[in-house]
Amino acid sequence: MTDGPLIVQSDKTILLDVDHILSDECRRQIASFAELEKSPEHIHTYRLTPLGLWNARAAGLDAEHVIDTLLKYSRFAVPHALLVDIAETMSRYGRLRLEAHPVHGLTLVSHDPAVLKEVTRGKKIAPMLGLQIDDETIIVHPGQRGFLKQALLKLGWPAEDFAGYVDGEAHEISLNQDGWTIRKYQELAAEGFWHGGSGVVVLPCGAGKTIVGAAAMAHAKATTLILVTNTVAARQWRDELLKRTSLHEDEIGEYSGAKKEIRPVTIATYQVLTTRKKGVYAHLDLFDAIDWGLIIYDEVHLLPAPVFRFTADIQSRRRLGLTATLVREDGMEGEVFSLIGPKRYDVPWREIEQQGYIAPADCVEVRINLTDAERMHYATAEQEDRYRFCSTTETKRKVAIALAEKHKDEQVLIIGQYIDQLDALGAELGVPVIKGETPIKEREELFNLYRSGEIKCLVVSKVANFSIDLPDATIAIQVSGTFGSRQEEAQRLGRVLRPKADGRSARFYSLVARDTVDQDFAQNRQRFLAEQGYAYRIIDADDI
Amino acid sequence: MSSSFADALRAKSDAEIARLFAARPDLLSPVPTDLSALAARASSMPSILRSRDALNKFEFDILTAAVTLADPFTPLELLRITDKSAKTALATLEERALIYADGEKFRIPANVRTLIGENPAGLGPIATKKINIDALDSAPKGAIELLNKMVWGPPRGQVADVKKANPTITWLLENNFLIAFDSQTLLLPREVAMHLRGGKVFKELQLTAPIVKGATRKQKAVDLAAIANISTFIRWAEELAHHWSDEPPSALRSGGLGVRDLKRTAEHLGIDESCTAFVAEVLFLGGLIVIDTDDQILPTSAFDLWLTKGVEDRWQTLVTLWLETSRVAGLIGKGDSKSVAALGPELDRAGVAGLKRTLLGLLTTIPELDPEISSLQDRMKFDLPTRTNNDYLTWALREAEWLGITGQGAISSFGKSLISGSDLGVEAALPAPVDHILIQADNSAIAPGPLTIEIANEMGTLADIESRGGATVYRFTEGSIRRALDHGKTGESIRDFLKKTSRTAMPQPLEYLINDVAKRHGRLRVGHANSYIRCEDEGLIAQIIHDKNLEDLRLRKLAPQVLIADVEINELVARLREASYLPAVENGTGILISAPAIRRAKSRPRPPRVITENSAPTEKIIAAAVRALRAGEKATSHKPREVPRTTANETLDLLNQYIEEQASITIGYADSNGGVSNRLVDPLSISLGTLVARDHATGEIAQFRIPRITGVAPAQSAPGE
Repeated sequence: MTDGPLIVQSDKTILLDVDHILSDECRRQIASFAELEKSPEHIHTYRLTPLGLWNARAAGLDAEHVIDTLLKYSRFAVPHALLVDIAETMSRYGRLRLEAHPVHGLTLVSHDPAVLKEVTRGKKIAPMLGLQIDDETIIVHPGQRGFLKQALLKLGWPAEDFAGYVDGEAHEISLNQDGWTIRKYQELAAEGFWHGGSGVVVLPCGAGKTIVGAAAMAHAKATTLILVTNTVAARQWRDELLKRTSLHEDEIGEYSGAKKEIRPVTIATYQVLTTRKKGVYAHLDLFDAIDWGLIIYDEVHLLPAPVFRFTADIQSRRRLGLTATLVREDGMEGEVFSLIGPKRYDVPWREIEQQGYIAPADCVEVRINLTDAERMHYATAEQEDRYRFCSTTETKRKVAIALAEKHKDEQVLIIGQYIDQLDALGAELGVPVIKGETPIKEREELFNLYRSGEIKCLVVSKVANFSIDLPDATIAIQVSGTFGSRQEEAQRLGRVLRPKADGRSARFYSLVARDTVDQDFAQNRQRFLAEQGYAYRIIDADDI
Repeated sequence: MSSSFADALRAKSDAEIARLFAARPDLLSPVPTDLSALAARASSMPSILRSRDALNKFEFDILTAAVTLADPFTPLELLRITDKSAKTALATLEERALIYADGEKFRIPANVRTLIGENPAGLGPIATKKINIDALDSAPKGAIELLNKMVWGPPRGQVADVKKANPTITWLLENNFLIAFDSQTLLLPREVAMHLRGGKVFKELQLTAPIVKGATRKQKAVDLAAIANISTFIRWAEELAHHWSDEPPSALRSGGLGVRDLKRTAEHLGIDESCTAFVAEVLFLGGLIVIDTDDQILPTSAFDLWLTKGVEDRWQTLVTLWLETSRVAGLIGKGDSKSVAALGPELDRAGVAGLKRTLLGLLTTIPELDPEISSLQDRMKFDLPTRTNNDYLTWALREAEWLGITGQGAISSFGKSLISGSDLGVEAALPAPVDHILIQADNSAIAPGPLTIEIANEMGTLADIESRGGATVYRFTEGSIRRALDHGKTGESIRDFLKKTSRTAMPQPLEYLINDVAKRHGRLRVGHANSYIRCEDEGLIAQIIHDKNLEDLRLRKLAPQVLIADVEINELVARLREASYLPAVENGTGILISAPAIRRAKSRPRPPRVITENSAPTEKIIAAAVRALRAGEKATSHKPREVPRTTANETLDLLNQYIEEQASITIGYADSNGGVSNRLVDPLSISLGTLVARDHATGEIAQFRIPRITGVAPAQSAPGE
């Protein structure tokens, strides 16, 4: 028995004692094949999943390495069955390969005829395949590259894709490191992606995903299609690219609800791509408009399902996914794996924070006692109205106002889900409200004023949740949120995690009505934060 | 006069008898009264069968070869037809009394010969006539080839007719190289076959056991893996019993655990179904779980007792049960028509315990080796030729690994000690128990090793277990804290315990959670009362509660205007009236019940059955009786004529004919007891194998099943009709 930092559990979770002297070394080793599930202060939890193990295989690790690592660092004996299972799972990756055959084009190849036989018998797979050339090679119908990979993953036989990529139309792009330098991990992430061909880079909010994207473009030196969540994000990408790369304004196009420009570098929103006219996706031509050399998916964990379908069609182009988390609440991690590619680079949040790029956040949950009248109202409310009621109570509004007043000298963001509530808060505090109907132009103006410090406080609705750079927010007050979505929580926290000029720590308040469903949902979200290593406090509203 | 088997046993020394008993332990129970009894027992078929099963392939082959020789035979004869190394096997066989000495020579007990069969090693009968082997040299063309076909057995061939056989066969028959068994069957005499076999019984005699191949392991790694297996298995066992205590599955009507329950349990444990079934079987063997009288499968008090022991004792209990059982858990879920159930009655297989012992014995001889299954199967086929079953072997290996007798496929030190009966040393190899936990900000706590029993129990109450293994991950939730409070803990005591036990500081949110739950716990109180007294006059309520006469009712004041009592309403009212109060009873909604309700039974009216006197019969009944009487008469008058037996087809033809003629007929009709009675009927129609006809006896339309109609005949002209 060694005295290692790892404890391997029988449910395939791995516990890492971070206070152990070998923990750093060990963490680097296991991060390549196990997925970090929680990273609270003492013991981190990793999980061994088939996808994680296959990601590791894709990165060139073999089962022997994984097993050796576990045995080397494990404090207790590791159940043999678990090791056997790891070897079994890992051996499944790469037994099937997609290759470009000089004569027959795209082919499915395996040195194991039994596996080939097994998968070809699948009802879903058979129609994608053509003639069998020999024992080890089967022709794949052109255009089925992505769908086949999806289907094979579902069967538990993920195929390794060696069919190569088209170079796309060349376009000179280089990084313009004037007054700034690319950070080490950003460079590693871009390189990791480039060598892998296609795949996903996982970086926390505020860690500079845009720059990783820019660096990848500088590697590709080709026309690039960038898919982002919304128009504001699209403009930020454009501004960043102008600042960080050799690209000029007329080389970057925006393809959104408002504009339909197609340029060597085009930034399109998910929304415009998934817009349907008479049941047909009207803007799919964009994928074929230029011979793209690279496609970048921002916030890949939010990628809408239709985009997967388009992506399956463009498997010969290099694809880079950028995200803060691989966890998808719809469980479509497998789609990301098979269609965008395996994970190529990953840095846990705390890691980057410790390197000083992200300000540590102080999370505070404020428990609010409802008044007797409110409690009575809540108790008699219909089930479906309860959440809305308890998130928008009068008491809550008062506490939010009190908090905003308390921090009136700092940059404050008030975030919420219900427009009425936000409007009321905005009116009472005398500050602007940004919501879905606010025109893009006005939003940008307000954000600029906020950045420059002319506006100290902003009230924002859900629409402001993603991909908006608000570098100087130091206080976020969450008054209501969508039902316990972990991603949303992470995004909101992202708002205040951005580095502060003076190194102050940001604070994240979340207002919760006691003894209501609000509290139950809050518990889920907070657990996620705590698991990410952010210690939080609970205080009573009366203590403010 | 040759010596008998009993004489041979008598000639044995005490030490030799002792060795016989050691090799054939079944002879010991019960202990035979004398040597004749021992001889009888040792030469009985069941005992010989057992003894044969314990022979390895080489010994068995030598015994077979010995059977080909006629009694008595010399050792030299036996060695000549086998191999010189047969000497050791011969000694073994003699020691086990499967062969016995007669002076310098040997004999074989009759039952051993019977067991091996008429054609030992595929050899035919011993020739009765003299054979001149040299004559084979001048045999006609094709004769040798023909004989060669029968040499390695079966030693018989078929011809159309021996008398009209072709010249080659005729020549062979004439020279006694073949024997005509009957007019079509030819037999190859043993001497001829032996000659053609080159004087040896077997083509290839496997002299030594095949070497087991496999991957080499380090004993240290093996033991580590085995310890992991042992602690995992113990955990599975505990978890399964606890789970069934919470949600007991119901046994099938045929006995055993249903497939769905097995699947559910497997999901709960996070292991596959075959492993789950095995865990359940082992617990079942030890009576740690049992199928209760109401068909629920539940852990027993023996389980609680087992829980109090150390891991080593717990393991030893389970492993010993497994070693000795004849139940084969691997069969669970197999079966052609219906799958075999865990804990069911269909799992017993003879000889499995022996197989397991032999297997483990073999594994101890090949330490640090994880054997290849095929190689191990070959070896086991040599060591235990009659008992080895590849499936059972695979299952036994798999189970030994689950149990931690092996680790990484090779025998562990604990397994070795188990077999040799020495000190197991499991306890020392287990990780040392830890007495602390680490609490984290996400309201989880981690025990970085096996906890001491007291702390584990306490934690089990305070928190839910999220993950098990070398460590245990606990999670505190509102529910778990509430449970602890329900068990009589206070917020204070929970905090103190956690502060004392945790190596890390208590996170603020957890402290907040405990305080919050403790503050709210018990704010709502629930109790039991049978009746209440309600009165708007608080003075009267006060008076009642202080009334000495009512003291023994132990009334409790819940509110200034409400008292509750444990006694039933009727008693309370009566006692209040006795004490000169004037209570009125109200119903559940507070409405006064003015007068005592007239009491009515709640069940449906159901008068008792009575034995009635005969009442006057109705005309209808009388008419029916008369009709029956007449019909009886008529039948009797027809009776003398026996209805002829007809086959089903004839019956059908006749019936159709009579239906057309609309004639009355007599049929013989078998009742369900097989008795045949004659019925006079008017046939109406035939459908679905049934004759529909009017029965004269009752005057009603009745159905007669055609297969039961024994015969049909026309009714004699019926004067009355």
